[in-house]
Amino acid sequence: MNLRFFCALLAGLLLVGLVAAQQPAKMKRTADGHPDLSGIWAYAVDLPSGGIKRVSNGEVTVKQADLSNRRAPKGEVKGALPFTTAPAYKPEFQAKVKDLIDHESKTDPVFYCGRPGVPRIGSPRKIVQLPNEIIFFYEDMSGDTYRVIPTDGRPHRADANPGAYGDSVGHWEGDTLVVDVTNFDDNTWFGENGYFHTDAMHVTERLWLDANNNLAWQAIVDDPKVLAQPWTITPRVVKPSNEPLEESARCVEDDGHRLQNNDHHGQR
Amino acid sequence: MKYRILAVFMVLIAAGSLWAHHSTTAVFDMGKKIQVTGTLNRVEWINPHISIYVDAKGEHGVDAWHFEGSPPAWFRRVGVNKNDIARFQGQMITVDGVRAKDGTLYGYLQKITFADGSSLETVSAGQIPEK
Repeated sequence: MNLRFFCALLAGLLLVGLVAAQQPAKMKRTADGHPDLSGIWAYAVDLPSGGIKRVSNGEVTVKQADLSNRRAPKGEVKGALPFTTAPAYKPEFQAKVKDLIDHESKTDPVFYCGRPGVPRIGSPRKIVQLPNEIIFFYEDMSGDTYRVIPTDGRPHRADANPGAYGDSVGHWEGDTLVVDVTNFDDNTWFGENGYFHTDAMHVTERLWLDANNNLAWQAIVDDPKVLAQPWTITPRVVKPSNEPLEESARCVEDDGHRLQNNDHHGQR
Repeated sequence: MKYRILAVFMVLIAAGSLWAHHSTTAVFDMGKKIQVTGTLNRVEWINPHISIYVDAKGEHGVDAWHFEGSPPAWFRRVGVNKNDIARFQGQMITVDGVRAKDGTLYGYLQKITFADGSSLETVSAGQIPEK
């Protein structure tokens, strides 16, 4: 083997490797041909940045929480709908929204262990996809909830009681799972910044796998009683995870009576 | 160095999230650093903040201090579980933190030093070397 041939061979192998590395991962699919969303997905609730410095037996270690799954994805999320950063309320409700956010530390239900509801709870921590239904599991400090979502074409339940997570039915649009959610109570906010809603809220969630088999999630919120138009929120992309689900600790709020001012900060 | 860490930590605990239910400045005087040494009475692994109870010697008997910290989900993801702290129950510990504005024996936990010399301290992202 002369040197020229060896170099050509090496260049060819490198090229093949490069092309292979740029190919999207093969999409996981179930036996019925739909994308397989099953699995554990990264914890995507925002947490403080920083970490813990541990000193033990003279050894110093620092561990930081991985917050990358909570941050807005960089660049375009393929398959996502155009979105805006804030909902458009009807003019007569804008003062109420401002008042709620100005006093968020006292008015936001999740500050007091309330349920975030759909869509504020975000992407599921675990998905079990079955032929006729799909089950979402969540970890949340208000309680670890679940949603059983029929995908067999049945309509919404007519006799379900309203709740924070509503009543869901799902169907596939191509490779995107579309979940239609209705029958909400009006005890939650659908996002930070005082985004209250009524029992007329209607949420559409869209879930799909991106080119790297990460889970993409996006929701559209409509509430014709208070919103001027439906709001499509920023998509999120979460990675697969090996971290098992763990029961969330009970929630006991003990700071509300200690608040000295209205200082607050953004959260989801 | 210790105080520099405490100072930058102010930024950390003001970070926003679903778990938090107020800005730390709404409850705590971030300039009023305290250090309490006493017996670790109880650890509660609860949301939205873990709670640590310390009985310290006060001017008129025992001062029952209560410190809150970050949420359990955060401690889990920085590799600390309840037993890392609770196993020292009944022993002397020293807690560094900031005190509540209402003047009660209530504080925000920033560092715990245990009797065996080991410690857990919250540090800001800026202090963590990039890998």
